[in-house]
Amino acid sequence: MFPSWPIRFHHHTPVVGSSKSGGGGGGGEESTDSGSAANTLSTTVPESPVSTKPSSSDHHHLQPPQMDGAGGFSQSHQTAGRQTPEKTLRRLAQNREAARKSRLRKKAYVQQLESSRIRLTQLEQDLHRARSQGIFLGGGGVAGGSISSGGAIFDMEYARWLDEDLRHMSELRTAVQAHLTDGDLRVIVDAYISHYDEIFRLKGVAAKSDVFHLITGMWATPAERCFLWMGGFRPSDLIKMLISQLDPLTEQQIMGIYGLQQTSQQAEDALSQGLEQLQQSLIDTIANGSINDSMHHMAVALGKLANLEGFVRQADNLRQQTLHQLRRILTVRQAARCFLVIGEYYGRLRALSSLWASRPREALQMADDNSCQTTTDLHMVQSSQNQFSNF
Amino acid sequence: MQFQPETHSYYSASSVVIHGGGGVAAADPFERVVRLASGSAVVVFSVSTCCMCHAVKRLFCGMGVSPTVYELDQDPRGKEIERVLSQLLGGGSAVPVVFIGGKLVGAMDRVMASHISGNLVPLLKEAGALWL
Repeated sequence: MFPSWPIRFHHHTPVVGSSKSGGGGGGGEESTDSGSAANTLSTTVPESPVSTKPSSSDHHHLQPPQMDGAGGFSQSHQTAGRQTPEKTLRRLAQNREAARKSRLRKKAYVQQLESSRIRLTQLEQDLHRARSQGIFLGGGGVAGGSISSGGAIFDMEYARWLDEDLRHMSELRTAVQAHLTDGDLRVIVDAYISHYDEIFRLKGVAAKSDVFHLITGMWATPAERCFLWMGGFRPSDLIKMLISQLDPLTEQQIMGIYGLQQTSQQAEDALSQGLEQLQQSLIDTIANGSINDSMHHMAVALGKLANLEGFVRQADNLRQQTLHQLRRILTVRQAARCFLVIGEYYGRLRALSSLWASRPREALQMADDNSCQTTTDLHMVQSSQNQFSNF
Repeated sequence: MQFQPETHSYYSASSVVIHGGGGVAAADPFERVVRLASGSAVVVFSVSTCCMCHAVKRLFCGMGVSPTVYELDQDPRGKEIERVLSQLLGGGSAVPVVFIGGKLVGAMDRVMASHISGNLVPLLKEAGALWL
C-alpha cells in the first residue's frame, strides 16, 4: 500500500511486513494478506483496493508502538517520521505568518505614500499660488526668486484667506438676495468682520518676521500694490469709493461716513509723517557712518528699522477700526451690501492685475496698433465688470 | 498754557522741560505723571527721537490742537516716568502716551481707535482743547 513507509512499523507481525514489502499492488490483497494483524492494528484501513486516505494511513502508521514494546529503533523511525510533518507544518505556518506581516507592512507603506503624495500636491498648489501672486505678477522682481519663510508662510495664509473671502462673498450675496431677517443677516455680516480681523491678526504676526514683505506689498497683486499705503489699503480711499455706493443713507449716517472719511484721512497723514521722519532718520544714519564706526551705525540703523513694524501695525489697526466703525454707522442690511461692494471692488482690482499680466504682448511691437490694443483691453475689463456687477 | 486757534497748519506745540515743579519736587514718579497729566488739556509724553511720537504730535496738530509735550529723553528723571508709563500701559513701549483732561487715553493704537470711532473730538472739546 505504501511502499515508501518503512516496513518495520509492523515488524512484530512478519506477515504484515512481508505483505507490505510486496509493493503497492492490490490493496485489497494486502489488506487481506496483512491478515488479522493489520486489521487488529487499525480499523481505519479501507477495504477498497486503492487507498486514498493517507491521513488514515498516517494514523495507522503513526500509532504509537505501544503494543510491540519495542526499543528505540522503531521509535526513532516513528519520531523521525512524526517530526518531518510537524516541522513542515510549523514551517508552513511561519511562512504564512511572515507573508501576512509582509503584506500588512506593504499596505501600510503604500497608504503612507498615498497620503504624502496628497500632501505634496497641496503644498505645491499653495506654493504655486503664493509664487504667482508674489513673484510672477511682480515681473520676477524678487532678488534670487526666493522669499523669506515668514513671507512665504504669510503668502500661503493670505491665499487661503482669499479663498475664504470668496466663500463669505457668495454667502453675503445669497443672504442679501434672499431677504433674510436682520438677525440672520447680522450673523453673516459679523462673520465677515471677523474674517477681516483674522487677516489683520495674520499680518501682525507676519510683520514681526518680515515687515519688508508686507510694506513692499509683495503679497498683493500689482494693481493693489500700486495703491498700497503702509502695507495695505488706504482707509480714506475705501470710504471715498463707498460714499457713492452706499445710498440711501440717513442724514446722521451721511454725517458719520463723512466724519469717518475725515478722521481716517487725518490718522493716515499723521502716520505717513511719522514714517517719513523714520525714513529721513534712517537715511541720515546710513549716510553719515564713517568707516571707523560703520558697524555702530549699522546697529543704530537696524534699531531704527525695527520701528517699521510699529507703523505697519498702526496702519493695520487703522484699517481694522475703519471697518468696525463702518459696521457701527450702517444698519445690518446696509453693512451687508457695503461689504459686498468692498469685496467686489478688491476682486476687480485683482482681476485687473491678472488681465494686465496676461495681456497680448504683440502690442509692444505694433506701435501704431496701440489704440486697438487698448480697446481690446477695455472690452476685457468691461466683460469682467459685467461678471461682477450684481446690484 | 495758551491754546491759540490754528491760523496755519504749522506744528506749534509747546515743549516743556520739566523742572522740579512748583518748588517741591515730587519724589514719586507716579505722582509726577499724575500732576503733569492734569496740568494741561492735552498732554503727550514723548521721546524726541521717536517717530511714532512725531506721528501722534502731527495728528493733534492736524486737528488744530496744541498738546503739551514732555520729551522724556531731555528730562533727568525721564527714565522713571517711562517706567511708570510702561506700567500704566501694561507693558510695551512707554511712548507716546496721551492724556486728555487729566485722563489716560493710551498709546498710539488707542488714540487712533478713539479718533476713528469718533470719541476723540468730544474728549478734546470737553477738555477745552478744541472748539467749533
